[in-house]
Amino acid sequence: MRRAGEFLRGALRRHEVLLLLVLVVEWGLFYHYGTTVNRRGVVVGFGTLDRQFDVLRHSCEIGLLALALTPVILTAGIDLSVGSLLGLCAVVFGQLWHDAGLPVGAAAGLTLVAGALGGAVNAGLVAGLRLPPLIVTLGTYSLFRGLAEALTRGAVTYTDFPAGFLFLGQERWLGLPTQAWVFLVAAAAIGVLVHRTVTGRAFRVLGFAPEGARYAGLAVGRTLAIAYVLAGTVAAAAALIYTARIGQAKADAGTGYELYAITAVVLGGTSIFGGRGSVPGTLLGVAAIAVLKNGLATIPAVIRLNAAEEMAGLLTGALLLLALALGALGQAGKVEG
Amino acid sequence: MSSVPLLAFEAIEKSFGAVRALRGVSFELRAGEVHALLGENGAGKSTLIKVATGAHAPDAGHLVIGGRRLARLDPASARVHGIACIYQQPALFPDLTVAENLALRLEPPQLARRVDRAGRRRRAAELLQRIGAALPPEAEVRNLSMPEQQLVEIASALGAGARIVIMDEPTASLTQREQVRLFQTVRTLREAGAGIIYISHRLDEIFELADRVTILRDGASVGTRVAGELSEAELIRLMVGREMNSLFPPPLGPVGDTVLELRAVGCRAAGVRDVSLTVRAGEVLGLAGLVGAGRTELAGVLFGLTPADAGEILLGGRSVTIDSPRTALAHGLAYVPEDRRRHGVVLELPVAQNITLAAHRTLFPGGWLRSGVERKLAGEFIARFAIRTAGPGAPVASLSGGNQQKVALARWLATAPRVLILDEPTQGVDVGAKGEIHRLIRELAARGLAVLLISSDLPEILGMSDRIGVMRGGTIADVLPGTAAAPEVMAAALGTAGKGAA
Ligand SMILES: Nc1ncnc2c1ncn2[C@@H]1O[C@H](COP(=O)(O)OP(=O)(O)OP(=O)(O)O)[C@@H](O)[C@H]1O
Ligand SMILES: [Mg+2]
Repeated sequence: MRRAGEFLRGALRRHEVLLLLVLVVEWGLFYHYGTTVNRRGVVVGFGTLDRQFDVLRHSCEIGLLALALTPVILTAGIDLSVGSLLGLCAVVFGQLWHDAGLPVGAAAGLTLVAGALGGAVNAGLVAGLRLPPLIVTLGTYSLFRGLAEALTRGAVTYTDFPAGFLFLGQERWLGLPTQAWVFLVAAAAIGVLVHRTVTGRAFRVLGFAPEGARYAGLAVGRTLAIAYVLAGTVAAAAALIYTARIGQAKADAGTGYELYAITAVVLGGTSIFGGRGSVPGTLLGVAAIAVLKNGLATIPAVIRLNAAEEMAGLLTGALLLLALALGALGQAGKVEG
Repeated sequence: MSSVPLLAFEAIEKSFGAVRALRGVSFELRAGEVHALLGENGAGKSTLIKVATGAHAPDAGHLVIGGRRLARLDPASARVHGIACIYQQPALFPDLTVAENLALRLEPPQLARRVDRAGRRRRAAELLQRIGAALPPEAEVRNLSMPEQQLVEIASALGAGARIVIMDEPTASLTQREQVRLFQTVRTLREAGAGIIYISHRLDEIFELADRVTILRDGASVGTRVAGELSEAELIRLMVGREMNSLFPPPLGPVGDTVLELRAVGCRAAGVRDVSLTVRAGEVLGLAGLVGAGRTELAGVLFGLTPADAGEILLGGRSVTIDSPRTALAHGLAYVPEDRRRHGVVLELPVAQNITLAAHRTLFPGGWLRSGVERKLAGEFIARFAIRTAGPGAPVASLSGGNQQKVALARWLATAPRVLILDEPTQGVDVGAKGEIHRLIRELAARGLAVLLISSDLPEILGMSDRIGVMRGGTIADVLPGTAAAPEVMAAALGTAGKGAA
């Protein structure tokens, strides 16, 4: 009697194990093929610590968006607007600091509030009016980006941020790239929310059975609202980190990031139909994509062809389809009543 | 009755992981008989018929159909062999008409062909007439009641020329009247020479309908008997493996103050109007009525699923507004819904999480999950209701139908409610567990709960109710004493003789 339950739980875990394996293989290959010694006898490429920190640094923004999307997708929703909201928040931050002359700290705080408000727009439409999330966030996807462009008239770029702020995106703190700490704290917080609280449980129930959640007396509207407002807030945090890393804020920041983030979440084993998934899975999904993207750019043959971007896209797509196919095979053995 | 079996199972075995659902079951179905398949929840009945429909491949053993030995079936070849199954949940397309649904089942798939609408309608009408169903072929399935949809399923089985018709708990949510109609159809099929496998937990039906009975216990066959030669007590002993009385338990305590009072409550959207009713502590108020009389709809109004737009609801003497299930829950109302798979449980979630789902606020203060508390509570309910599961971590989908029902019930008892609304609480539940649930209802009432019991099982209503509210046309037509007899209740449910009988 015991084994059936264990098998299921094992299968759930297996996805993460599988992903970890993929990650190790990826890493090993890039370490082998992407590490070279240059003319001056210095080791360069994938195998250097600097490069590894680079991978980490570059994965923080998409990583944050993927974390933000995990609860949303668990509820069987989607948020296509996070990339646009990142752009809007970057612009808002630039204006608050540069145009309004606020101290950097206050500007950052207000930017987070702006992100929450952006998320609240989605929440109001999805949770309040019960509109389909895909349509709602497709709308806000254009709306937020359009707003960012309108605010800057498509031309203004904010630069010259103080060193204290750039520290967040360009320096190290306690041995790690500074933004990695923000990412880790966000991962821990969202991990706890999803896996250890009744709200996290409610995300899943909503994903599995929205009607069942209502009949069980769960706070359906509030749960949905939490997921979308949280997504907006985390997108704002990603905007701050992005601005600090690049050193400038403009309206096209984070264009297309939502798709990378969704890819990472789904690759991490979260079902696009809701209910199933985990935060550790998302982290592994983010890592698998980040290593792939950065690793390819260190392989001499790829550099010569100047095709790192294209190959990364191709391989990420292939990886995702593989993960989905494996997931489907796992589902085929699912129990039925 | 010919003696050549239409279908025979020989030493079928089937396991799910470590769960041995079938351990060498043999069984045969003859032409022109209704063969009942009986057994407790989780005995393996549904698993056995899923082997016959090709949904499950047996691990060992084989089937013999029309003299041909087969190691296994797939759904397509099962159909070719004339096997049709009517599940408890009809699987029709809600947006299509009856005629279109039948055409989809019966016409061979073909690209680019003119749709012969008139022909489809004619054939649908003819099939429906053969089973005596008064349904218009052009009705959309979404507008049909569950029993009517079942009739469409049966018509489709007939149209496919099914010689072997399997019915898995077809009457679990039918009232007396639809049941009578269904039985006529079953008899028509039998006369036509079909063999029918019939699964039900309602023993009175078995004696009325079945020619032979095969009893499963723990995945093994305990024997096949001629139905007429068995007494109810014997049957129960074969199923449960011990003596058991099937009497309804008497009330255990006195009736107290009014807990729930409805004053002219209505809800236009739900079709409920002008309901006035009181339920007192320690009282079981039965709600009887035909399908569509508004019993489930009234429960929906009380539980805030379709909030009331007229009248007043009083709880413990205080007027309350119940605008969502959440507020209902906060006021101490609990509702075990009729449609267990869609509303009563979350199939993908483990048993333990299902049991605690409505009691989050009391079990997990501050919103932090506590797996220890959860496992302990789940363990208690699993033991108390004898829920058959691989463990508290197993998904509810892996439980048999009756055990899923027990989980749905456990979820609401875990909230320690003041008012308990039970909608078909014993549907699909075996005799043993049914008695257990009845005793539990009495026990809860004795502890001061007010119980509203909705059931299509008339003996259950008569046996369990202190008073019986009879609903008709969305309102309470009559309130009868608990001692009322079946004909009185039926008459009240139908309205004045001759009028509601069509
Ligand atoms: N897909 C499955 N995965 C795991 N276990 C299963 C699965 N299907 C059935 N079982 C188990 O097999 C046993 C038999 O189940 P089955 O559904 O055949 O019972 P049943 O006789 O139809 O019961 P009920 O009267 O409650 O419907 C049960 O212990 C059940 O938990
Ligand atoms: Mg069953």
